[in-house]
Amino acid sequence: MFWLKVLEITSLYTILVLGIYLMTGLTGLFSLGQGGFVSIGAYTAAIAFVRFGFPFPLALVAAVAMGAVLGLLIGIPTLRLRRDYFLLVTFGFGEMIRAALLYLSQLTGGAMGMAGMPRRAGLPLILVSIAVITFITYSLKRSRFGRKCVAIRDDELAASIMGVNVFAQKIMVFVISSAITAYGGALYAFNILFIEPNLFNWLESGKLIIITFVGGLNSIAGVIAASAIYYSFGEFFRFIDVWRDVLLALVVILVIIFRPGGLFQGLELLPRRLKAQRKVR
Amino acid sequence: MTDVLRLEGISKRFGGVVAVEEFSLTQGRDAITGIIGPNGAGKTTVFNLATGVYPLDSGRVFFGDREITRLPPHRRTDLGIARTFQNIRLFRNLDVLDNLKVAHDMKVRYTLWEEMLRLPRVRREERKIHEQALHYLDYLQLTRYAEARPANLPYGIQRRLELARALMTEPRLLLLDEPAAGLNPQEVRTLMDTIRKVREDHRLSVIVVEHHMELIMNICSHIHVLDFGKKIAEGRPEEIKKNEAVLQAYLGDEG
Repeated sequence: MFWLKVLEITSLYTILVLGIYLMTGLTGLFSLGQGGFVSIGAYTAAIAFVRFGFPFPLALVAAVAMGAVLGLLIGIPTLRLRRDYFLLVTFGFGEMIRAALLYLSQLTGGAMGMAGMPRRAGLPLILVSIAVITFITYSLKRSRFGRKCVAIRDDELAASIMGVNVFAQKIMVFVISSAITAYGGALYAFNILFIEPNLFNWLESGKLIIITFVGGLNSIAGVIAASAIYYSFGEFFRFIDVWRDVLLALVVILVIIFRPGGLFQGLELLPRRLKAQRKVR
Repeated sequence: MTDVLRLEGISKRFGGVVAVEEFSLTQGRDAITGIIGPNGAGKTTVFNLATGVYPLDSGRVFFGDREITRLPPHRRTDLGIARTFQNIRLFRNLDVLDNLKVAHDMKVRYTLWEEMLRLPRVRREERKIHEQALHYLDYLQLTRYAEARPANLPYGIQRRLELARALMTEPRLLLLDEPAAGLNPQEVRTLMDTIRKVREDHRLSVIVVEHHMELIMNICSHIHVLDFGKKIAEGRPEEIKKNEAVLQAYLGDEG
């Protein structure tokens, strides 16, 4: 039972990490507001279901749509800015969402949080979701979309001179990432069954970024592995309390120093690719 | 109609510094034009203005019959302007093939939804772009570097790779920013042949910014000379060689 719970929670967080992979891993955009999108997804689905009587699948759709629309609204004014300003604005957005959820208490329950969702997002649904999201992310990574993302991360000016519409591409990346993140939030609401405004603050957003780096910017497999290790580790080692974070920090520092490309470097775990990649290395 | 690029009195200031002042240029369809001048004369800025990296302070830019003064860089590339960079700017996290493919991605026709699900059209188009990239690698004798990362390649190869990448955009006008910088004499001679060959095979118009006099005098039919952002001379190579103002500004007293 405990194992199952750990697996569920780890898998939920893995969806969130996958959500930011396109944005942070491939494109090199850092958002400290993804926690806000998790909350958006969780609350949208919960409110749609509990307050407006949406069926569960439709509540999920609503969450994804809300995440995408808000991603678009935040993205349009901020993605023309330099990356550091983008980081600051998304930080502000995340905290704003937190405050909004607290104050819109008639809808959200305010600081009391929300309960009353049935348990609809069990392990099978979560795992299937991970499979689908991984497939989509990997499909994007290996064709036009992914090439453009990496080109933008490496050199925005050169990318635009090679015909990449940098701004439009960043918008698309941010919208897709935000939609996936909101979806993860919705599953969270229907798995944990209780949500409150302070669940996902900017520290959680920061952790997603760090996990992406530890796993390897160019490797979806690495990011999934790092996320699985980190979040299951967190559950198993609750007894060492704050030392968890110290240990994590140590691991992060070691990885950055000794394996700056992340644990998996550019490796993807595909039977067909493994051989070829070994040859290159 | 026969002109590919026309710059009409373009100017650019950075703070109080005049980078380019009232520069005009008319580029014929299969001309090779040279822009020379001492360091900091504004040569690269001319390229940056032509490709839309910076907005103009004044003046107008035409590509064919179309005014492109306000078009962003990626739209100009789509129309047919390609360039290389003085300080090589390859994408270091993409392998050589993907560096080329990115430059062709604006011509690829599949939607984001098809791409997410990797539908048959995506596979088909990806095969096509792969062939295209292999073709240009072969064309510039780069095939054996296809899987390498650009950073691991010798300097001269990286320069040639930038040229291959520029060709992948299927340009009508090619802007080369100091293509001979850092090359040895042997490589420079190869480069001259390559530029001529590329122009003839692809019916391209070429503008070269360069310090390397031998290259400029050899391949260019027309030369513009810049000094402190202003054009001080213009003409055929023989005329430029004898021009008093050029000798003073560019070659110094020894000229």
